[in-house]
Amino acid sequence: MSTEWLSDHLHEPNTRIVESNEDVLLYDTGHLPGAVHIDWRQDLQDPLVRDYISPKAFAELCSRNGIGPDTTVLFYGDKSNWWSCYALWAFRLFGHEKVKILDGGRDKWIKEGRAVTKEKPQFAQTEYPVPAKRYDAEIRAFYEEALEQSKAARPLIDVRSPGEFKGEVTHMPEYPQEGVLRGGHIPGARSVPWKTAVKDDATFKSADELQAIYTKGCGLKPDDDIVAYCRIGERSSHTWFVLTYLLGYTKVRNYDGSWTEWGNKVRAPIERS
Amino acid sequence: MDKSCNEPPEPPDPPSVYPPKLAAIIGLFESLPEEEKRENLVAYSEQSRRQEPKEGEKFDLEDVRKDEECTDTVGVFLRVDAENRAHFRITLGPQVQTLTKAMTSILCKGLEGATLGEIMELPADFVPRIVGGHLVRIRSHTVYYILTRMKSACKVLLNRQRAERA
Repeated sequence: MSTEWLSDHLHEPNTRIVESNEDVLLYDTGHLPGAVHIDWRQDLQDPLVRDYISPKAFAELCSRNGIGPDTTVLFYGDKSNWWSCYALWAFRLFGHEKVKILDGGRDKWIKEGRAVTKEKPQFAQTEYPVPAKRYDAEIRAFYEEALEQSKAARPLIDVRSPGEFKGEVTHMPEYPQEGVLRGGHIPGARSVPWKTAVKDDATFKSADELQAIYTKGCGLKPDDDIVAYCRIGERSSHTWFVLTYLLGYTKVRNYDGSWTEWGNKVRAPIERS
Repeated sequence: MDKSCNEPPEPPDPPSVYPPKLAAIIGLFESLPEEEKRENLVAYSEQSRRQEPKEGEKFDLEDVRKDEECTDTVGVFLRVDAENRAHFRITLGPQVQTLTKAMTSILCKGLEGATLGEIMELPADFVPRIVGGHLVRIRSHTVYYILTRMKSACKVLLNRQRAERA
């Protein structure tokens, strides 16, 4: 959805605007009118085990934010929508189907001088039913599956920066080292940085341009079994969104363990190039 | 027997290891519930532009650089007065995160007039007391950066002073 569209539909019934950022206090400095804040780490991840929250916790999260199973959730955030794509992907893990992303994210909205407020909205509590399952098998890949993908020479898309892919650095440019012991990439992975999919203002490229990159350039077919990964799964959520929602690919999984798992795993095979 | 008779008197509070202005800010934040703590951090972040150098100010050290630990360029400007007390100014690039902006205002105010030695000896354990343990846990890499840069500037000046004395 565009900033223009959202500006005209801020108070649409049965929708909820959700801001998800890397900057943990950014929402508090001002946000879209009516937007609630869902933090990718505090709200969506288990506080102890490296995993997502349980279906019951997800139902509680939605309920206290006034989200029902039929609510259309409109995500936006900072950093070119990395974390909002991550939150959207997490919502899909729990089977929530009505989701959209604000094209260009928070920065575009602010640059256009559109309305922001510090007022935190209160919505009536809903009774979100506890999802019967988490769709890990459908849209999430674990280490063993990424390894199998590599061995079977099925498409693996590394969306990190070229320096990370080549093993020249073990962290994202401008970010601290987060304890990864080895640099490089999963054998057989192809480097297609997430940024390839967006213009300078962080809006998504056109469908024709995206097809030229992923379909023609990478040879990916719409029904290919594809696994995308990055460092912890946020940038690859962005690519997962592009492939799934903008190009209509049917079997894309996000390996959220990504390089912080692979690059530390004893005897995990690594390529450098 | 009255048990309290055998107990030694409470020792007086040890002197604060923090400069008085910083100790006051720490005390304020520690008294706040989580939501008000966030509101105060945002309020401090909104004052970060006020910490920039003013026209005509001169500094003993200017350290402007972009590190991998921070999302944008940070400039640390340090002036030391005749009593060897530090006066900081800091510039932040537009991509710097809100917590870093807040810590910039807090530290510029809290360390105003502290000696270089006091700043170098300053333990970092006050940061979670201001920011809250929860925010430190979920975004630990952003909260210590400005303090590290300020200490780094002090160290350079102290080394320079030692070299001049030698």
